[in-house]
Amino acid sequence: MFELKEGIFVLDELRNVSIKIGEVIEEEEVEKAIMGPTPKPKIADLRDWDMFLLKRYKPFYAPYCDMCCLCTMGKCDLTGNKRGACGIDLAAQTGRIVAIACAIGVSAHCAHARHMMHDIEHMKGDLSEIPIDFGPEIDVVAPLTELITGIRPKTLADFKKVLDYAEEQIVQVVDAVHTGQEGSYLDYESKAFHLGMIDSLSKEVADILQICAFGFPKGEDNQPFIDVGMGTIDMNKAVVLVIGHNAPPAMNIADYLEANGLTDEVDIAGICCTANDIGRYYEKAKIAAALSRQLKVIRAGLADVIVIDEQCIRADILYHAGKLGIPVICTNDKAMHGLRDMTKEDPKDIIKYILDGAPGVAILDPLKVGEVATTIALERRKKREGEIKPILSEKEFMEYAKTCTQCGNCTFACPQGIRIGEAMEAAENGDRSLLEKRWDICIACGRCEQVCPKNIPIIDMLNFAAWERIKNEKGKIRRARGPVRDTEIREVGAPIVLGTIPGIIAPIGCGNYPNGTEEVYTIVREFASRNYIVTLTGCMAFDAALYKNEEGQGVFEEFHDRFDAGGVINIGSCVSNAHIHGAAIKVARIFAMRNIRANYEEIADYILNRVGACGVAWGAMSQKAASIATGFNRLGVPAVVGPHGSKYRRAFLGQPYRDEDWIMYDIRRGEEVRVEPAPQDLLVAAETLEEALPLMAKLCIRPADTDRGRSIKLTHYIDLSLKYLGKLPEDWHLFVRTESDLPLAKKEELLKVLEDEHGWKIDWKKKKILEGPMRGYDAGFNPTNVKRIFEQGPLPLGGE
Amino acid sequence: MVEAKPFDTANIPGPKMAMIAKPKSVASMIKRAKRPLLIVGPDLTEEMFKRVLEFAKKDVQVVATGSTIKKFIEAGVADSVKYAVLHELTSFILDPEWPGLDGQGNYDLVLFLGTIYYHGSQMMAAIKNFAPHTRAIAIDRYYHPNAFQSFPSLWKKDEEYLEMLDEILANL
Repeated sequence: MFELKEGIFVLDELRNVSIKIGEVIEEEEVEKAIMGPTPKPKIADLRDWDMFLLKRYKPFYAPYCDMCCLCTMGKCDLTGNKRGACGIDLAAQTGRIVAIACAIGVSAHCAHARHMMHDIEHMKGDLSEIPIDFGPEIDVVAPLTELITGIRPKTLADFKKVLDYAEEQIVQVVDAVHTGQEGSYLDYESKAFHLGMIDSLSKEVADILQICAFGFPKGEDNQPFIDVGMGTIDMNKAVVLVIGHNAPPAMNIADYLEANGLTDEVDIAGICCTANDIGRYYEKAKIAAALSRQLKVIRAGLADVIVIDEQCIRADILYHAGKLGIPVICTNDKAMHGLRDMTKEDPKDIIKYILDGAPGVAILDPLKVGEVATTIALERRKKREGEIKPILSEKEFMEYAKTCTQCGNCTFACPQGIRIGEAMEAAENGDRSLLEKRWDICIACGRCEQVCPKNIPIIDMLNFAAWERIKNEKGKIRRARGPVRDTEIREVGAPIVLGTIPGIIAPIGCGNYPNGTEEVYTIVREFASRNYIVTLTGCMAFDAALYKNEEGQGVFEEFHDRFDAGGVINIGSCVSNAHIHGAAIKVARIFAMRNIRANYEEIADYILNRVGACGVAWGAMSQKAASIATGFNRLGVPAVVGPHGSKYRRAFLGQPYRDEDWIMYDIRRGEEVRVEPAPQDLLVAAETLEEALPLMAKLCIRPADTDRGRSIKLTHYIDLSLKYLGKLPEDWHLFVRTESDLPLAKKEELLKVLEDEHGWKIDWKKKKILEGPMRGYDAGFNPTNVKRIFEQGPLPLGGE
Repeated sequence: MVEAKPFDTANIPGPKMAMIAKPKSVASMIKRAKRPLLIVGPDLTEEMFKRVLEFAKKDVQVVATGSTIKKFIEAGVADSVKYAVLHELTSFILDPEWPGLDGQGNYDLVLFLGTIYYHGSQMMAAIKNFAPHTRAIAIDRYYHPNAFQSFPSLWKKDEEYLEMLDEILANL
């Protein structure tokens, strides 16, 4: 029997007749669920939802620059919200810059997905022959794809049309940032939301592609441990250092090692997301460090060859690697660093070219990288000693310390304002501890070296002082497990929505921390110990693994990696973030039986009202982090960033004192209700760790919490505030609807505070609140912010 | 010569950058203000904190941000000092209708001291550009270009800086 496939067919019997079949829609898919209102939404299709969010969570603009320099009518001075030559004011211009940042971020993820798709076709063949099968415990395989496009992909080929859609949306929004287009800051934010949503979709595509094509873990827990830390790199072996986000070239290196019996002779160590992804493929891979230590690793000489792919690579990597004679292989056309493209040449010629002294080479075919990188690493290993020593000698270190005049230029240039001169002076006087401590706070950006009038190699000085720490930096991280299983959601869906699991905390993103890496460990351990579910991705996952408890266990060893209370889960690389969105969507689908197909607004509304999740990007740095956070925000998930995060220029901050911003519909009672500010913000920067911890607990509170759930959430909010700030939160009473919302252990004490400080009326005999809360507790409260859902109810599921 | 150089050298926001603040004129601005607010962040020394406590005695509402409230609690003066998340607080300051920390209305003069430098700079950029009803004055150790007026960069001149704080206090 002839099976319909996509393509052009010529019928033998009919001359000059061909039939083009664009898309085969399988009956099963149509029957699965009713198509929702917004399949493949365009810019304006979810604008009403955005405008609701923007009314409650007002864009707060903190311009980084008061000017616009984008066209030849400028520069324009927009200070004080003036308008420029094109008519744009500073608010709209700032929204525009945010949209541009999100456009860059989503492009990185979407292009990554497309690049991955091409690589898989090249390495594995026909995409339609690779099924999307996550096993019996995962039926909802691509929740974001289903939610946004209405498509339920069966094979990797189905993602072609998803990426076609995503790419079109990016181009449409980038068009809108051209001079003479959008003029409203609110519409720029709506467009940024749109890009954020596309970002989440693109990430899901990228990760499912690599999971299915390369056999990564498919959501199984109890993952094995992988070494993490600069001290885990075995310099007795040849070392290939892989940096970036797109792992097929690194996987080819692993294939080459295994095929040639070289796994005990060569270490693959990674930085950034390629490190996480290569670990999903090759368990012997090591995670050298997060992004913020890239220069520290390179300048410590911990590599025989460096292989870069795309994203988060130092723009000056050739300069720094070249100082130590480490060759760089570029494997992605997005980052070729001016090197000779030898993709089409024989690997032996490429190897000779490098070993003859070339600084690096571009090889854009991942299937050629393994042989070249491995051979070069092995050859270079023969020419050095086994143990690596600091780049500086003791004598050089002391001479440089004496050379420093404490002029302060380095401090003025440092994004952290580190008092480097003071530490140099101490080192000159025999105390290296200041330099050692500051090694971890330093993000190794290298700006200090650019301005030092004495040309002191400051990063080498820091590495020298911290050498013992570098050698002993050895942690354990779980191999990344990828998606959250439907079976796990069945177990935890109710406790999450009812609030008895107090929340999902998602530490994600880069390493531009305000105060070093240990704070990441504190965040993870604090929340896991309190039975939150902690889901990590990207660099924060690595940094969390560097510290140990009193028993010598890291957080990945101390806690299980199930998606359940007290879990600490390495979800995966940055693109694996999509599975955190996916878990929230699956709660709506599996626990609440909501139809997620092309039904974004309803599901985002559900998540905002009921799923107590909070992202934390404590060191958010890149434009990708901007689009990631914006994508979480549109789906109803708030995020906390570190103090550097205010440089993103825009936050989404609620005003709890404005009654009109906190009115919701109660579907059950058919009336409007003024609810507590939960969550108060969608995107907010905390100034210190001590502030961030209670803030994150607060942002897990939701209007739909049961009284038992609210009591648990308030317990943690109050407890974290007392522990880290030494006082009750200023606003805890806003979240009390009834006496059973109060933390059990502090009930009487808090009733007294409500009476004394807030004027509430208490019946002390019954220990009941008589008057005070903005609303009472109603176990049947069925909230929505969407008038259509209030009037018509949720979208029916359809024919399942 | 005073140093009007942003603590983060590249932090040049545009044509409008803070004038250098003189202690006496800061004191007179505080005295003229109907509702001055002193925002105190975590980047401060013990000597700076001693001066902050003096401000609290001079009818200037003090709000602690970040984790600074702990210092006030330890000093036994937490009752008169509020706590706020700086990002949220600044967004409230931008709203002329915000009832303030005490329900009595927004503030017409906002003094910054001890905020994490780069974060505080962003908050002052928001006030400069979007809060015509108030002015931000930086009385920190760093020159803050986004303030209306700012002390120069004095992070290597502790004594000179503390004398300037004392001079403000003496003139209140």
